[in-house]
Amino acid sequence: MAEDIAAQLKNCFLFKGLSDEALAAVAQKASTHTLAEGDVLMRRGETGDSLFMVNEGWFKIVTEDAQGDELIINKTAPGETIGEMALLDEAPRSASAIALTPARVLELKKDAFYEILDQRPDVALTIIRGLSSRLRFSTTYIQKAIDWSQKIAAGDYEFIENTQQALRKTESDDDKAAQLLSAFFQMVRSVKARENDLKEQLERLTLEIDEARRKQEFEDIVGTDFYANLKERAKRLRAQRAASQDEE
Amino acid sequence: MANRKIVSIHSFRGGTGKSNTTANLASQVALAGKRVGIVDTDIQSPGIHVLFGLDETKMGKTINDFLHGKCPVSEVAFNIGERALDSEGRAKLAGMNLWLFPSSIRGREISQILREGYDVNLLNEGFQTILKELQLDYLFIDTHPGLNEETLLSIAISDILIIVLRPDNQDFQGTAVTVDIARSLDVPNLILMVNKALPKYDFADLRKQVENKFHAPVAGVLPLSFDLADNGSKDIFSLQHPDHEWSKALREVAETVLAIK
Repeated sequence: MAEDIAAQLKNCFLFKGLSDEALAAVAQKASTHTLAEGDVLMRRGETGDSLFMVNEGWFKIVTEDAQGDELIINKTAPGETIGEMALLDEAPRSASAIALTPARVLELKKDAFYEILDQRPDVALTIIRGLSSRLRFSTTYIQKAIDWSQKIAAGDYEFIENTQQALRKTESDDDKAAQLLSAFFQMVRSVKARENDLKEQLERLTLEIDEARRKQEFEDIVGTDFYANLKERAKRLRAQRAASQDEE
Repeated sequence: MANRKIVSIHSFRGGTGKSNTTANLASQVALAGKRVGIVDTDIQSPGIHVLFGLDETKMGKTINDFLHGKCPVSEVAFNIGERALDSEGRAKLAGMNLWLFPSSIRGREISQILREGYDVNLLNEGFQTILKELQLDYLFIDTHPGLNEETLLSIAISDILIIVLRPDNQDFQGTAVTVDIARSLDVPNLILMVNKALPKYDFADLRKQVENKFHAPVAGVLPLSFDLADNGSKDIFSLQHPDHEWSKALREVAETVLAIK
């Protein structure tokens, strides 16, 4: 049984890189729960004293909007954790977690979690690294989102195609970041499409010149005595002005 | 070594917003710290004085007096930076070096000069005197629409000619002739400004079309604005409403003028 649990822990990002022996130590403290679709894993406002690791099935993380209606803020897949923050900051649960499908989770109680941290500095370090890398990942995306927002504000949408392709190849294995990105890019595409629609609504004005008339009117003016003198005089006046300015 | 420039603002037909453009451009250039004069040579239908809050009671000597030999041109100068500060926009010109040389608005004096004509050489001498005596960096000339003799003279002696046109075929046709004349007179800097463009048009396309047709730079495409019309020539709009789209585009034109060496 503990071996099964250890195998499942391996899939969880928090314990990535732990030795089998260390995993077994954690597995001893964890317990398994099975949930049916619609079962509530945790409730918003409760004191949080466990960390859950999803082995099978999907959960929705929900809160309430201003009208008291359910608001889904996230969905979690197998391999992800739920409630890891509550173990560290001891604040009440900020959201509820409800099973979307039949599910199986591992639970690690707070006391057991602290025991591990006390006894196994190697495990503690791995968990800290896991949390820290997730935080760094979020910070990177916040920074990118700021850069992109500035580009959008300046009307530059060129970046989205290249950026999205590059991201697909590299890092967006994190589901939450992938969701954020996909929503972000969708938003940029909508804005771009709306702007293009507006541009197309602008009318094109075609202006024409009657070249024969233009030539005739020009010749009527330059053919006068006044104009013949003017051209010579203008040249002289400009030269005089330039000369007198040079002296000043 | 001085570098004084004569800037003529011209449009082939009336109603393009030429006087408004002249007043706003001159104000912006003065605001940039330059010494600026404005001469209203639209003797038949003067208008720019209204934008600077001048009426018959405040107006002293005029360009008409100078052209009739009644006074030296320096006596026509009306110091805007000191006197015409009675509105929100104009108040920003306090302490700036900006002088207006108004044309008479008395019907009798207008008809007299139209009947008797005047010496365009004297007008030219007046320009030179103003430039020198007031040590101006820029002298803006608000011309009469069309291509009569005094307008041709103003174009001929300009260092910079700004042609204001509306985006319509009549203005386009007239502008073509003016551009040809300016080229034939070797005007060193020719700039186009499209005014009163309906916002539904594609401004970038409009700019490209005008530039391609005339082979001259378009320094700005300014929108037709109800706000500007509502201002009713009571104030210098780009100073009163600096964040308005029209004002922003107008400042682009002013920057183009300032950038010319």
